[in-house]
Amino acid sequence: MRFSRTTAHLALLLALVALCASAAAGGASATSARATAGLTIYAGSSMTTVLPQIDSGNQYSFGSSSALATQIKNGAPADVFMSANTSAPAALYAAGVVEKPVNFIRNTLAVVVPKSNPAGIKSIYDLTKPGVKIAVAAPSVPVGAYTVTVLNQMGLNAAIQANVVTQETSDANVVAKVALGQVDAGFVYLSDYVIDPGELTLVKVPAWAQPKITYALAIVTKSPNQAAAQAWIDKVLSPAGQALFVKSGFLPLTAPVPAIASFSPAKATGGATVTLSGTNFTGTTSVTIQGVPAKFKVVSPARITLTVPTRAKTGTITVTNPSGTATTVKQLRIG
Amino acid sequence: MSASISRAQLLSRSAKGGAALLVAGSALGQLVDTAAAAPLPVSDLAYTRLLVGAELLAADFYAQAIAAANAGASVARYLKIAAFNEQEHYQAVARVLTGAGLRPAVAGDFEFSYPDGTFDTVGSIVTFGLQLETTILGAYLGALGAVQTDTVRTGIAPIAACEAQHAAYFAEVKGLKAFSLSFPPALTIDQASNAFDAYTA
Repeated sequence: MRFSRTTAHLALLLALVALCASAAAGGASATSARATAGLTIYAGSSMTTVLPQIDSGNQYSFGSSSALATQIKNGAPADVFMSANTSAPAALYAAGVVEKPVNFIRNTLAVVVPKSNPAGIKSIYDLTKPGVKIAVAAPSVPVGAYTVTVLNQMGLNAAIQANVVTQETSDANVVAKVALGQVDAGFVYLSDYVIDPGELTLVKVPAWAQPKITYALAIVTKSPNQAAAQAWIDKVLSPAGQALFVKSGFLPLTAPVPAIASFSPAKATGGATVTLSGTNFTGTTSVTIQGVPAKFKVVSPARITLTVPTRAKTGTITVTNPSGTATTVKQLRIG
Repeated sequence: MSASISRAQLLSRSAKGGAALLVAGSALGQLVDTAAAAPLPVSDLAYTRLLVGAELLAADFYAQAIAAANAGASVARYLKIAAFNEQEHYQAVARVLTGAGLRPAVAGDFEFSYPDGTFDTVGSIVTFGLQLETTILGAYLGALGAVQTDTVRTGIAPIAACEAQHAAYFAEVKGLKAFSLSFPPALTIDQASNAFDAYTA
């Protein structure tokens, strides 16, 4: 795998040189994975491997999300825009260029170092040592902006930026430079590492400093393939599509915070069943009545049934999922 | 807040407990005041974020230990009180960030992981609890030596004392000396961060 990884990155660098030449000559776009009769999808380069796995029949153009957004705004013939952030699709939506964006996956930031690890990097804090050569993406592209966020959150921006020797136009370029040993470390997405660890060793970015990295997609308003584009979105959001993303190192979307609209009956005794109506109940981790845990079943995203504990007392009902809690305004009367 | 113990219940347990809460409340007020005052140095904000993460880890550990119901009555009572402490600590340090116009991390931002069997027996819970509380204490002691803002330092000092009490309890239950060192070791921010990394996926 060492040979294939290096070869792949050399090929990528050559492709990027060709891309720059194309752009200089007025060429429109980035790397095309394959040309078929399907949709034309412009997507952030961190999705280069996973999207063809979801559907190999589309034509993909991968590149910096911010650059792709500019191209779409300037009339590039894309059907769907898939961005490594939410801000680029939101800006296009505000400009009337795309339909309402939909969040579809998350990612995390990571540091990768060459397998040989010549600088002896074991922790992100080691990147502040004098002489360490670091590659980052430019702040104008999402992964570069996320890198700056992390470094600011850790109070390390000045110290680490002092060791940055190159600012790349994408995460793929950062990976290539690290894999080829041109730098001692680089900031990339975790998915860049998981997809093909090859020549790389992973160094975690602490969870407490991680930025919110949410990807969003949107159908281009002028696309003549609206129905097919919607079908693609459904495919991406399907359990099978999400599973392919997760297998590639992405994170599933976090469940939205639950909301309780009503419950019935208003009065119950221990052992009785109470039904909650509301939204975002999928993924519920606990249901309590005035702090007393109740057995429950998520019947649907909009309905939960719970069994009133025998020691429950009159009080509000609280539903919790990993994203937050919802508590009823009215109290369930016990007795 | 812990599911099974309220602030009022805690206050009613003893005058000593009530006094402790009062002091903690004062510290919380100081941290809130800090948040509303002049901008904090980035290094202080970084430490605060680390401590927010540490408190969420501690809260998650206690919640899981309580839910596992393997601790026995005596230790379980302690776990509930400690869980309440950690919730209050989280609120205190998180408000430094919200006061600075920043978003503090919430439990949903983390995916904590623990060694196999951590919650299987009272012994494994106590062993892990001692390890975790010792690390958290070290993180707070490191923060006390590193943060530049006096009000932040004053605000987190009582939290460090509380974490030391937690560690001492676990040590005693484990049959070790509740305390021995005159100067428990402080962890630098990178040491603390790397230690907490072991418990995040």
